Amino acid sequence: MNGKAHALLRLFAVQGVWNYERMLGVGIGYAAEPLLEDLKVADPVRHSEAVVRSAEFFNCNPNLAGLALGATVRAEYDAEPGPQVVRLRAALCSPLGALGDQLFWAGLLPALVGAALAAVVLGASGWGIVGFLVAYNVVRGWTAVWSLRTGLKAGMGVGKAIGTSWIPKAVPVVGYAAGLSVGFALPLLAKWYLRPFGLVSGIAVALIVAAGIAAGKLFGARMTGSRFALAAVLVTLLFRLVAR
Amino acid sequence: MDPLILAALLGWGTLVGLDLVSVAQSMIARPLVAGAVTGLLVGDPSAGLRVGALLELFALDVLPIGAARYPDYGPATVAATVVAAGSPWELSLGLAGTVGLLVSVVGGWSLQQLRRWNADAVQRHSAALAAGESAAIRRLQYGGIVRDAIRSALLTGAGLVAAWAAGRWLILDRATATALTLVLIGAALAAALGGALRSAGRSRRRRWLAAGLVLGFALATL
Repeated sequence: MNGKAHALLRLFAVQGVWNYERMLGVGIGYAAEPLLEDLKVADPVRHSEAVVRSAEFFNCNPNLAGLALGATVRAEYDAEPGPQVVRLRAALCSPLGALGDQLFWAGLLPALVGAALAAVVLGASGWGIVGFLVAYNVVRGWTAVWSLRTGLKAGMGVGKAIGTSWIPKAVPVVGYAAGLSVGFALPLLAKWYLRPFGLVSGIAVALIVAAGIAAGKLFGARMTGSRFALAAVLVTLLFRLVAR
Repeated sequence: MDPLILAALLGWGTLVGLDLVSVAQSMIARPLVAGAVTGLLVGDPSAGLRVGALLELFALDVLPIGAARYPDYGPATVAATVVAAGSPWELSLGLAGTVGLLVSVVGGWSLQQLRRWNADAVQRHSAALAAGESAAIRRLQYGGIVRDAIRSALLTGAGLVAAWAAGRWLILDRATATALTLVLIGAALAAALGGALRSAGRSRRRRWLAAGLVLGFALATL
């Protein structure tokens, strides 16, 4: 099968036309195009059907999209019945979404961001940020290569391949790393920002932190960090206006 | 501002806007990265780091999952860094952070609009998609990326106008400027800690978070 390198590159733009109708679907279709080229010669009718299926509704974490792409393309080459390929695609949405989100958005990313923030505060400045970018993109790039290879090899058996892979084992580990890293960075950042101000200011900031967390508990997901901050800014400006 | 620097800021803001969702997701859209590079572009790397780290704490509260609505902090950080550049950060961080948060909210709204426009484009090409035309898939893909590039450039431009307007008309007295800085530092720490507590839930991750806080606190008090 040709076109693997092109498909891999296209996976990095898999969310290029993310929308509420097909979500990642068209992006997966775009990434599948080079992989399906050989099928055009071997079986033009099947190729046309495969292109239609490749761009239908799909959603998952973009970093693991290669698994679904590889598996469905392999299934097309293996001449699996069309409805079965559609079912495979639908069945992969939730697990690839949940695993990818936990692995990347709730795990690796906060772990590396926390480390970068701590590095900046401890004096590494630009190097901490370069280290963050290199580390994240090495893991992310390697995961993309592994995902596409594993999907192409496993085909309809991709579910089992995911279950026995490194991903389910890595999810809790990166979660712990994220907790440790963000927890480590926060007191250092607090000191970095509050050093020029006095003790009273420090106590005031601690009260704002407590109020922010309490507001989050009280109002749930509606009270995002930025909403609380903007509300607090508004109250501060009004208070200063009255105090004048 | 020098037109070359302005063009560089617009270009950088467009790149970080694209990086958030559409192309690469290499994390140059993270506020820490966007702020550091913007700081270098405007000749005040320290302001870039301070603003970038502040908005990064807010970004840690966000999980960019599926169809969720979330702020676009990349172009917002570019604008916020421009506000803070050249002034003592103790006085400018509050105003810069406020401008950044407002631009990030507009950015979140613009992402929603982009997704609707993309859906409209998909509907317009539905016959071609049903016929299995690869060219239609390519057209949709490139169109989506171009739309996001335009969105990111406009958002960065609007952010830079907001930064210029804030610098020109929002002249705060020293006490108010300091109070805003402290409020935003507190709110940012609350956002990051609240996000970390939510992610940890009641699992073992909470113990790792507590261990990190103890270690960080110990190092901070040394």
